[in-house]
Amino acid sequence: MGAIEGILTGFEVAFSWEGILFVLLGVFVGTFIGMLPGLGPISAIAIMIPITYGMDPTLALVMMAGVYYGAVFGGSTSSILLNAPGISGTVASSFDGYPMAQQGKAGKALAIAAISSFAGGTISVVLLMIFAPMLASVAISFGPPAYFALMLLGLTAIASLSEGSTIKALISAVVGFMIATIGIDPQTGTGRFTFGSMNLLDGIDFLVIALGLFAIAEVCYLVMSRHKSATGSGKEIGSLKLSKDDVKEMSGPVGRQSLLGFILGILPGAGATIASFISYIAEKRIAKKPEEFGKGSVKGLAAPEASNNAATSGAFVPLLSLGIPGSGTTAVMLGAFLVLGLQPGPMLMGDRPEVFWGIIASMYIGNIFLLVLNLPLIPYIARILTIPRPLLISLVLMFSLIGVYAISFSVFDLYLLLAFGVIGFLMRMFAFPAPPFILAFILGGMMEQSFRQSMTISNGSISIMFENNISLVLIILSVLSFAFPIAKSIWSKKKAS
Amino acid sequence: MLQGVNRKIGLILALLSIGYLYMSYQLPTYPYIPVDADAVPKTLGWVLLVLSVALIFSKDSDSEEQKAKRRIPKKDVKALLGVGALLLIYIMLFETLGFIIMTVLFVYFCSWFLGYKNHIVNAIVSIVFPIALYSIFVFMLQIKLPQGILPF
Repeated sequence: MGAIEGILTGFEVAFSWEGILFVLLGVFVGTFIGMLPGLGPISAIAIMIPITYGMDPTLALVMMAGVYYGAVFGGSTSSILLNAPGISGTVASSFDGYPMAQQGKAGKALAIAAISSFAGGTISVVLLMIFAPMLASVAISFGPPAYFALMLLGLTAIASLSEGSTIKALISAVVGFMIATIGIDPQTGTGRFTFGSMNLLDGIDFLVIALGLFAIAEVCYLVMSRHKSATGSGKEIGSLKLSKDDVKEMSGPVGRQSLLGFILGILPGAGATIASFISYIAEKRIAKKPEEFGKGSVKGLAAPEASNNAATSGAFVPLLSLGIPGSGTTAVMLGAFLVLGLQPGPMLMGDRPEVFWGIIASMYIGNIFLLVLNLPLIPYIARILTIPRPLLISLVLMFSLIGVYAISFSVFDLYLLLAFGVIGFLMRMFAFPAPPFILAFILGGMMEQSFRQSMTISNGSISIMFENNISLVLIILSVLSFAFPIAKSIWSKKKAS
Repeated sequence: MLQGVNRKIGLILALLSIGYLYMSYQLPTYPYIPVDADAVPKTLGWVLLVLSVALIFSKDSDSEEQKAKRRIPKKDVKALLGVGALLLIYIMLFETLGFIIMTVLFVYFCSWFLGYKNHIVNAIVSIVFPIALYSIFVFMLQIKLPQGILPF
């Protein structure tokens, strides 16, 4: 099937009534969960996975993708109204969005955020449509060494780009990888770290880890802030109208930062959070009046909003074309693919064009829905923020428990969920980032498999990793991404002394 | 030596990596396999050991916000333990009493325990959500959830 036919198939899926319904459902749920302080896209996707059991995989994934970019879209509302970002990707939006709301221009801020997000999302879907098939056609020739090197790059990049200590991020990734080794080794049939338990022979399900480390750990923090009321959400948000000057002012940053956000989204390890910060800083650097940033600047809000949404679509490029997630959120998306019996990667475009193109095409509709949801309906949707926290906590726990049970039918997995919830909470407490953990857990099995396949091909010689140009370049990039933060910290220490 | 948080965590992780390494070296190996089942675990164990030692000797680079996250007031510790206990009871009785009974009770008592005093809304939410979810899973998705002592 040619690309044009594929695109048409995708639009056929996206514009079917079921497609439209599930996109709408996805973006609505995503907006809802993304808005709630604490719960991010990873929890949103993980909570939704059990609901997709038995569904048509294409529609399920169209919905999940909607949940993802909907959560990034929704996160900005609580950033602007409450200065409490729903997700880390919208922290930069609060720098100028919240001051604007305090000046009585919350409506204007929400409109700028919605329009910038829409533009960022739509521009990047066009780019996704161009780049994903190109990359997939290149990746089809990748052998096990190139795949191993690619995954290694994904891991080192996310560890080195994580906030805070690089050592802690690397530890997080290594422990995630270790958890992935539990169970029967597929190549030799050896049981590894099962402690004689039948329940561990199949390994630990990724949903147990995703819901434990993210949803349950986030609930722990919600328990601690249970008495906080969502003040401000019910107040007047003012007019949503933008002046001609506002539109003129935001058009430059939106155009530039959509492109930058998309590129950063493709890169392993980057993602919406880093993209939004870099875009904010970049716009501030080139602004004629940088002193306005942080005090309610239109540019300061438009830039991160366009960028974080563009990065979300960008993150789909490696996921759909290579089958390799570059961030914690796309790692959970990959998990969703696997649960539904699909393997994303270069073969997906040819084998299942309706899935590959259906997801991409649905993003156009999803972005339009988000604009409609976020412009006129936002004062009503923002009331979600007034849901009493105790009820919210109970319901999130209920969704997590049922999700895990429905995938394994095992009470043992519920205990494991609780254990990973405690681990996730402790990780947050002691500043160990969780995304490298989940990424390493999901990539771990695949990495080990491609490494061992490579070694079998070369009869045990490691030189196979350096014989192919692609794997050589990727390994050099992995080493650089690993060495860069270390060199940077040594450099800054030298400078300081 | 073990005054900083990083040092304590580093030591715990180093001990864990030693335990993991010990178990990795116990894994059986087979001839004629270039990379056996023990290779990756052994590598990971050594890498974690090196990283743990690096953590022990690294400076605490956590921000003030991160440090504030570690200070949990006593009443919150009690609340967290309480929710943990409710979850444990839920899991223990889940298959015996069934999904509906346990989930209704869990949602109601968990919300009540965390300070939600509107009993009518609480009762409605804790009955409607579990029953709706049970119906979706069992009747629409054909995924069987434990019915326990209830006849449906």
